[in-house]
Amino acid sequence: MSKLSFFIRRFHSLIALIPIGLFICVHFMLNSSIFLGNEAYMTMVNFMKSFPFIELLEIGLIAIPIIFHGIYGIYIVYLAKNNVLKYKYYRNLAFYLQRFTSLIVLAFIIWHVYTLRIAPVSAEGTFAALLSMLQNPLTFVLYVIGVVATVYHFTNGLFTFCITWGICVGDRAQKIFAICATALFIVISIWAVGILLALAVA
Amino acid sequence: MVDLKNVKYIKLKIKRRDNPSSPSYWQEFHIPYRPNMNIVSALMEIRKNPVTADGQQVNPVVWECNCLEEVCGACTMLINGVPRQACAALTDKLIEKYGDRPIQLEPLTKFPVIRDLMIDRSKMFDNLKRVHAWVRVDGSWAIGRGPRLSEKDQSIAYEISHCMTCGCCLEACPNYNSKSDFVGPNAIAQVRMFNMHAIGRTQADERLEALTAKGGIQDCGNSQNCKQVCPKHINLTAHIAAMNRQANAYVLKNFLDK
Repeated sequence: MSKLSFFIRRFHSLIALIPIGLFICVHFMLNSSIFLGNEAYMTMVNFMKSFPFIELLEIGLIAIPIIFHGIYGIYIVYLAKNNVLKYKYYRNLAFYLQRFTSLIVLAFIIWHVYTLRIAPVSAEGTFAALLSMLQNPLTFVLYVIGVVATVYHFTNGLFTFCITWGICVGDRAQKIFAICATALFIVISIWAVGILLALAVA
Repeated sequence: MVDLKNVKYIKLKIKRRDNPSSPSYWQEFHIPYRPNMNIVSALMEIRKNPVTADGQQVNPVVWECNCLEEVCGACTMLINGVPRQACAALTDKLIEKYGDRPIQLEPLTKFPVIRDLMIDRSKMFDNLKRVHAWVRVDGSWAIGRGPRLSEKDQSIAYEISHCMTCGCCLEACPNYNSKSDFVGPNAIAQVRMFNMHAIGRTQADERLEALTAKGGIQDCGNSQNCKQVCPKHINLTAHIAAMNRQANAYVLKNFLDK
């Protein structure tokens, strides 16, 4: 049993990529259908809703991994004694931001899932709720913060994942991966905010 | 930049504590300026004449030092908030960098303070014991010399061998604190070195077992402060990443083999 914390920590890291990270990408890809107009978006939503066992997939591949990652993540946040003001190094700031964004993302996910998945009774209801939130400037800004924080947590986590799993070891490899993660953060953020903007004007 | 010709005193502001359970307090000392001093020689001046800047006769400041050439780690303290060795902290450089303000000296915060700048460093050595940071050669018969290491491995081991267990990496690590029993970056790097050693590698599993137990390598959060503050420029983050690879492979292999 002495390996329990090692297993949990590694499991926590692994599920962040598969399925959670993968889900984020798929989620953004599906939502990109708004670029083709409202009808294409509704076709996508209805297609996803018609998937057999969609509830099981939602619970098993999305909800449970996120809940586990979130709960154990809070414990990890609690364990750190942040010292970013004393040691002003880039990675230390990223370490702090990873923990800071995690709390934003957790609050955002609860809000996002409750208002769009749990509360509405139909696909049309979800779409209406989404549009009303994104057309309100205040909730639009909250959405942008939530989504950008999610993308940061995901892409920075991707970089630390490569260290945690011993994929990139040396300075040069770490530098290349860090640049790629930053580039990915910028690209996915623009993409995600683009989706929000397209929905806001829909 | 301060012109050292105009500096009359080397000012030290020292965080003091009389015994492990008493509260700490600050005292300022002014030492007549002399060129080419370091923090250790400045503390020695205070010991000769322990009078504070406001003329109060006090007990001399307690601190530890040993090698005086940045290889033993005993004089590690926070100097203007930076964990480093007092012997290698040159007062002229500090005055040039920070100006004529008092140089702040504090004991490291991650270890129990015994008195003034003297700390109890035994936790670091306990952590080295936890991960079996040695090569076991004692037995009933001589086991002889192991095979020679490749030059590439030698250069990695040589870098890690510079570690003097000074505690700077632990001081800067956000995950090394009273809430966790993390072994710390230095112990993880030592495992890499001993697992490379020609005879030491035959006991690699014992070290990996310890490194994947509670408070092991999994508690690293990748803040990478350790590498930034290491006075010996040991690439601790690379060594941790290399040990992540070894630890994961070890745990997976162990799981599948049994």
